[in-house]
Amino acid sequence: MDIFNGLLLGFSTATTFGNFLYCFLGVLLGTAVGVLPGLGPIATISMLLPFTFGLPVDTALIMLAGIFYGSQYGGSTTAILMNLPGEASSVVTTLDGHEMAKQGKAGRALAAAAIGSFFAGTVGTLFIAVSAPLLASLALTFGPAEYFSLIVLGLITSMVLASGSLLTAFGMALFGVMLGMIGTDVNSGAARFTFGTPNLLDGLDFVVVATGVFGLGDVIANLENEKSRSAGLAQVSSLFPTREDWKRMAAPILRGTGIGVLLGVLPGAGVLLASFSAYALEKKVSRHSAEFGKGAIEGVAAPEAANNAAAQTCFIPMLTLGLPGTATMALMIGALVVQGVQPGPEILTQQPALFWGLVVSMWLGNLMLLFLNLPLVGVWAKLISVPYHYLFPMISVFVAIGVYSINNSVFDVYMMAVFGVLGYFFKKVGAEPAPLILAMILGPMAEEYLRRALLISHGDASVFFTSPLSLGTLIVAALLLLSIVSPRFRKVREEGLQEAD
Amino acid sequence: MKRREFMVLGGTAALLASNGAAWSAAKWPSKPGVVISAYPPGGTSDIITRLVADVLTAKFGQQFVVENHAGAAGALAGGKLARAAPDGYTIMVSGSAPIAANKVVQKNLAYDPQVDFTPISIVAESPALLTASAIAPAKSLQELIAYAKANPGKVNIGNPGAGTKGHIAAAIIGQMAGVEINHIPYKGSPPLLTDLLGGHIHFALDAPSNYLPHIRDSKIRGLAVTSLKRTSELPNVPTVAEQGFKDYDQTLWFGAVGPKGMPAEIVNAIQGAIKEWTDMPATKEKLTSLGLTAVANTPDQMKVSIQKEIESIRPLVDAGLVQPT
Repeated sequence: MDIFNGLLLGFSTATTFGNFLYCFLGVLLGTAVGVLPGLGPIATISMLLPFTFGLPVDTALIMLAGIFYGSQYGGSTTAILMNLPGEASSVVTTLDGHEMAKQGKAGRALAAAAIGSFFAGTVGTLFIAVSAPLLASLALTFGPAEYFSLIVLGLITSMVLASGSLLTAFGMALFGVMLGMIGTDVNSGAARFTFGTPNLLDGLDFVVVATGVFGLGDVIANLENEKSRSAGLAQVSSLFPTREDWKRMAAPILRGTGIGVLLGVLPGAGVLLASFSAYALEKKVSRHSAEFGKGAIEGVAAPEAANNAAAQTCFIPMLTLGLPGTATMALMIGALVVQGVQPGPEILTQQPALFWGLVVSMWLGNLMLLFLNLPLVGVWAKLISVPYHYLFPMISVFVAIGVYSINNSVFDVYMMAVFGVLGYFFKKVGAEPAPLILAMILGPMAEEYLRRALLISHGDASVFFTSPLSLGTLIVAALLLLSIVSPRFRKVREEGLQEAD
Repeated sequence: MKRREFMVLGGTAALLASNGAAWSAAKWPSKPGVVISAYPPGGTSDIITRLVADVLTAKFGQQFVVENHAGAAGALAGGKLARAAPDGYTIMVSGSAPIAANKVVQKNLAYDPQVDFTPISIVAESPALLTASAIAPAKSLQELIAYAKANPGKVNIGNPGAGTKGHIAAAIIGQMAGVEINHIPYKGSPPLLTDLLGGHIHFALDAPSNYLPHIRDSKIRGLAVTSLKRTSELPNVPTVAEQGFKDYDQTLWFGAVGPKGMPAEIVNAIQGAIKEWTDMPATKEKLTSLGLTAVANTPDQMKVSIQKEIESIRPLVDAGLVQPT
């Protein structure tokens, strides 16, 4: 199917009443969770996952995707107005966004973020439409060795990107791999790390871990500054960027989009890397680099464009290779599998309506988000002022219900509580949980592919280096790792990550 | 008169009691149920699981949802089923591995399928199919054996999990021909097919459904079917027996089981629904197009099949030919 027929099919799928409605519902929810601290897309999607089982598969995916990229928009609203990143990927937006707000330019910062996001979303969607079929046709060249190398790259990327020391990140990834090992071994059926309890024979559900660490952990951490938290909410005046603003943000949006589109495809990088890199690049190339950190519009437009572009393109490896580059994508795979759809190279030929419907719905969703976030920004600002003593008990109850409903198991709720405390502990000691979650998802996959690759090669590990694709991937991973040892890059990384803190 | 009244009363009570039992069985299902699929979506076992779930949903007016718990050749799903309540709201439909073979193949199996499961019915059976990638070093079973003899220890045959029929059927071929075969387990059929299409593995022995369209497109080659006779869907693919393996006959089956101690009324209700469905001409046609044959037997017949399957595999395990890798 060529792109035009595909997009036509996509339009007819995405514009059915049900799909359109759920797309709207998704982006609406996404914006809300993006705005609310303590509730991110991972926790939200986990909670809503059981609810989507009764929906048609395309509708389910369209809504869940909407929550994910919708939260990228919502996250920037709090970042700009309150200096509170609603989402991790909006952290850099606080730097210049909130500065602009303090100078009375909140509306223009919001507009820059929304317009940048919309443009990036459009390009990202087009990029999926063009490149996903290409990658799917290449997907057959990926054998066990290539998959393993790709997963290694993903794990290393997530480690290099984590804030704090590389050693901590490595430890977190290792811990994640071990958590992923819990349960029945996929080849021999032996029980591993189950401590004799049948509750662990199926392994830990990563949704339980993710909602605990990201959902409950965030709530606990936010409680800490409940008293001292300033409720300073910047006033929104004109939403219209000036002619000067347009001139200054056009190129950054383009560059941010480019970075986001490319980095989104890289497994393990996700949206976070995209916004950091875009910010760092703008700071380097901008003629106004002295203004960065003091309210430069480039510092808002570029990272916001980048994180939204990445939020679209990270669907590509998930859909075409069945490889989840981020925790959110692992949830999407879960949603598809429940419905009897196995993501992989065949998805385009077997489920064309699903694939193209999703692509088109993403663009429609981005359009809706533009309107949801600009004229209605006042409504969202009100949502932030919901007192925490109402918000947090509600979030806690909802995540508990969500986790319980996965397996109807109370054990899972206790596990989530344990990981909530652990998540708070990680925050206190400055260990970023992203590598842990990703390693927990990718670890078992890495094991499966490693064992298979070695079985096929009769134990000869050179297969990882004789396949050009695998070798190339491993070299990129090694360079990434080396770059951190190099003092120059190290400085850049530390600067970038420090600015975010 | 008193005594007679008493008897009437007693009779009424007995009647009420039996009515009560009938009433509770008639009440099932009063809420949605789960049908566990032991393999990932898209494989033959999963296709059958989904068909059965649809049949139960249509027949009993409650949603029967499919849950995939793939891994360890179905042992993950089997363990899940063994731990479920025997109330008729959780059953499993699967190929024979988690219902029979795993008992002898996997040393650490967390359940005993002959003790912890209630057989319901076999749903379908089919031969297994030996296929080769487009760039495989052999274009027939004889060539494959010759290649294996010339290159000892170099032949890999993929299967959808350790102890699945694909694994066992390949092990028997190796035993009869006296060649060494490396068995590569996959997590079900879809990833195995993907690797075969990509040429990362050259041979696969698996249920036929997923492979049929690709053989028709000549993207992969059918080398042999494991049944005694050729199948109608692949008239040009010879049997293993035809290619010098006398009396070689391996059939794989897919069946429904529940946890231990499931009430007989519910077992019979599900078995009845499956039988009614498999007896329909449309079902037979649908299954034939997937390379399968509709079967409906009774819980007792299925119990015998399970026993036979286990006994046929035990010697292979003892000889070290079939083991998890």
